[in-house]
Amino acid sequence: MRFLLRRLVAVPLTLLGVSVLVFVTTELVPGDVARTILGREASAESVARLRGQLGLERPLPARYADWLGGFVTGRWGESYTLRVPVRDLVLDRLSASMLLAALAFALLVPVAVTLGLVAGVNHDRPMDRLVSVTGLALGATPEFVTGVILLVVFAVRLRWFPASAKAPDGSSLLARLGHLALPAFSLVVLCTGYVARHVRAGAVTAIESPYASAAELRGLTRWQVVRRHVLRNSTISATSALGVQLQFLLGGLVTVELLFNHPGIGALLLSSAVDKDLPTLQATAMVLGLLYMLIVLAADVAFRLLDPRIRLGAAS
Amino acid sequence: MRELPRPFDRPGPPVAAKHVISAAAVPAMTRRTLLAGTGGGALALLLAACGTGDGVASQTGADTTAKASAPPRPGGTLRAGSPPPPTAVDPVTMYDGSAIAIVQLVAEYLIWLDRDFSLKPRLAEKWESEEGGKRWAFTLRQGVTFSDGTPLDAETVKASFDRLLDPDSKSAALSAFDTVLAKGGVSVRDAATVVFTLERAFSDFPYLVSAGNYNAVILKKDYAGNFTKKPIGTGPFLLESYDAASGATFTRNPKYWEPGKPYLDGVQIKFYADDQADLLALQSGEIDAQILSRPQLVGPLKGIGDITVDQVQGTGLTAFTLRTDRAPFDRKEARQAVAYALDRPGVNATVYDGIGALGNDHLFAPLFPAAPGDVPQRAKDPAKVAELLGGQPLSFTLTYDPPSKDYALTVQNQLKQAGIQVELEQRSSADFYGGDQDKDTPWLFSTANLVGWAGRATPSQFVIPMVKGGGVWNGSKYANSALDAAADAYDAAQTDDERKAQAEIIAKALHEDVPVIVSVWSGTVRAYNAGKFTGIQAHPSSYVDFSSVSQVV
Repeated sequence: MRFLLRRLVAVPLTLLGVSVLVFVTTELVPGDVARTILGREASAESVARLRGQLGLERPLPARYADWLGGFVTGRWGESYTLRVPVRDLVLDRLSASMLLAALAFALLVPVAVTLGLVAGVNHDRPMDRLVSVTGLALGATPEFVTGVILLVVFAVRLRWFPASAKAPDGSSLLARLGHLALPAFSLVVLCTGYVARHVRAGAVTAIESPYASAAELRGLTRWQVVRRHVLRNSTISATSALGVQLQFLLGGLVTVELLFNHPGIGALLLSSAVDKDLPTLQATAMVLGLLYMLIVLAADVAFRLLDPRIRLGAAS
Repeated sequence: MRELPRPFDRPGPPVAAKHVISAAAVPAMTRRTLLAGTGGGALALLLAACGTGDGVASQTGADTTAKASAPPRPGGTLRAGSPPPPTAVDPVTMYDGSAIAIVQLVAEYLIWLDRDFSLKPRLAEKWESEEGGKRWAFTLRQGVTFSDGTPLDAETVKASFDRLLDPDSKSAALSAFDTVLAKGGVSVRDAATVVFTLERAFSDFPYLVSAGNYNAVILKKDYAGNFTKKPIGTGPFLLESYDAASGATFTRNPKYWEPGKPYLDGVQIKFYADDQADLLALQSGEIDAQILSRPQLVGPLKGIGDITVDQVQGTGLTAFTLRTDRAPFDRKEARQAVAYALDRPGVNATVYDGIGALGNDHLFAPLFPAAPGDVPQRAKDPAKVAELLGGQPLSFTLTYDPPSKDYALTVQNQLKQAGIQVELEQRSSADFYGGDQDKDTPWLFSTANLVGWAGRATPSQFVIPMVKGGGVWNGSKYANSALDAAADAYDAAQTDDERKAQAEIIAKALHEDVPVIVSVWSGTVRAYNAGKFTGIQAHPSSYVDFSSVSQVV
């Protein structure tokens, strides 16, 4: 409990540091915001007028204080380019990203854990090499390659799935998930190898441990040993790997979101950076920073729950 | 495998194409170009390889016209793909192709700029010049109403132009009207006649109030910048819904002034932030047409299924600007040597997928009616290069931003073959177009640079700012009093012959002095499913007129 409290207190402090970093770096990005918004052909007078309207002439600390105060109190401002409330924009994109991440994660965990266990149980055998090499190869293949192949085969040729991840407005959850099937599958292909390798490593260690040998000597079948002893120990080492993947799935998707036309938060981060839409860029970065911290915290908590040795160590 | 999330992983090299209709926007790397260099070519080849080859090939405007002449079949909804507009859709400030397309479905211009650069009456039935081209009177079409029932009148038209001419509007139209029409220059003669009093005679003025000046749509007097929330126009469709992330839906305007039109029941524009997603949607049947097609991507799809690629010449260019007041290009011979070292058909094939028209180092695209025909086409001539350089080595730095990367690499390679060394200096778009426009911005002050210019409606929109002495975008710092006088005379010309004569003077001066190398004029394409719809055409500026589109009979 003390661990959890300590980590929870650290979250806002870290976020404060992140806010300074985010604000300063986005402000220091080369190029004039007003010039970027109005274009190269706008007159100097128009650019100066817009700079004044956006408050860009004010000192950086004053603008930071205003921005931070607004962010904390839920007033995230208006997008420079789209002229819509930033909070609605970011949260809308975040919810879309979370739905895709949830689907991909729900598919990833059983697939990766099963494959990792199969490889671990059969380590140094052909099945182990098959799983490891295939996972490595697919993981090393850029997502725009696997994504394009999936799209061409399943959307263009076979027409089993829609090419666009964006379902029409008013679609049911099932229909929305159908639209998300191809991007989710693409992500599973991408991430499975990495997680499976961690599970495999944990499984190999567990299988070769004295307690597993003792269990087998007591007459348990291989399957029983795997189910009762190896599975849990394998997932301990995979927890942090899954945490990293969840971070990636929630905020690190740009290529997949663009390729499958999924309006997620990764694409928003990119577009706001390219278009110099600072209020959107800053809010998106802050939200992602908070999410990353919460995911790391959740992974640490899960790690402790899965491994009693850590709990006992902490207690002592 | 990913150890850490990296949001900006693998951004592919941007390409020259950018779906911004005017050069009013900084052509920075766009979301749509993100994957272009990495997945675009591979995807096109993959799709082509998967094709059945039993469909329609690319077609010309004549083919399209022939198809469109069949009796139209009313009904149906056309689904078109387009990138999401980078800014809020506002007719006054818009500059990107998607926003312009959305507005053009709902609102109209006094005059439509057709694909062959002819002017077609829309809300104005006729127009005529007075006082030697210093005043223009436009007679409005009678019986036109806005979608809310408000009748169109001269006061409404005046209000639309007053809005654009207000410096606070921040409209790109301000630069189009620069030195020609100022605030207060629009007046009402009677309920059906609007009069424009110009700052100077301008014979091409109708182009400036046409779709060629895309912000010049006629909106209601009380328009307040909330177009997607209160979309009222006189156009063929009504905007029913708009979502910045997903797209827009339109229904037929039952009060449209042209009897029987539009033929479609509705239009749906779906946003795709990436070219590949847009293309795959067309391939999979999710959409029926593209608003902004890229030649490099749709070219390999010709002949696959029912996909048809319509093609048309344009007036956009990449200006290869040389500083005439700074070594090494203060010598005319050095500028001419670079021009003679270029293989223009090679540039066209490499950078423009072969759909452009060869440039001749002047600013009159073949599409402009006044384009001179008797300036000899410059071609690659190594012997001439050697003669002009006289054994002296020539090397220089070429500055550009990511959209011009392909062009820069092609130029570097071609000039190397002629013994001219080019050092490439790529800047970010924000950096390239940043800085002080009067002192140090790279796109106007570097020794040599590449600047992408989207198409213009009139040659004067290139000549006056780019090469006239003191021009606001005169990056070559070129000064030629004879050209300046001819440019003024061109604008004031009263007859086509006079206009052509002045155009020839300007073109020959530019061809000889080479402040700007124009190797290729761009072309544009539009891909669509010809098995479902007919009447869809490419446009030099990628504009849309879906009032004549109908389902295939």
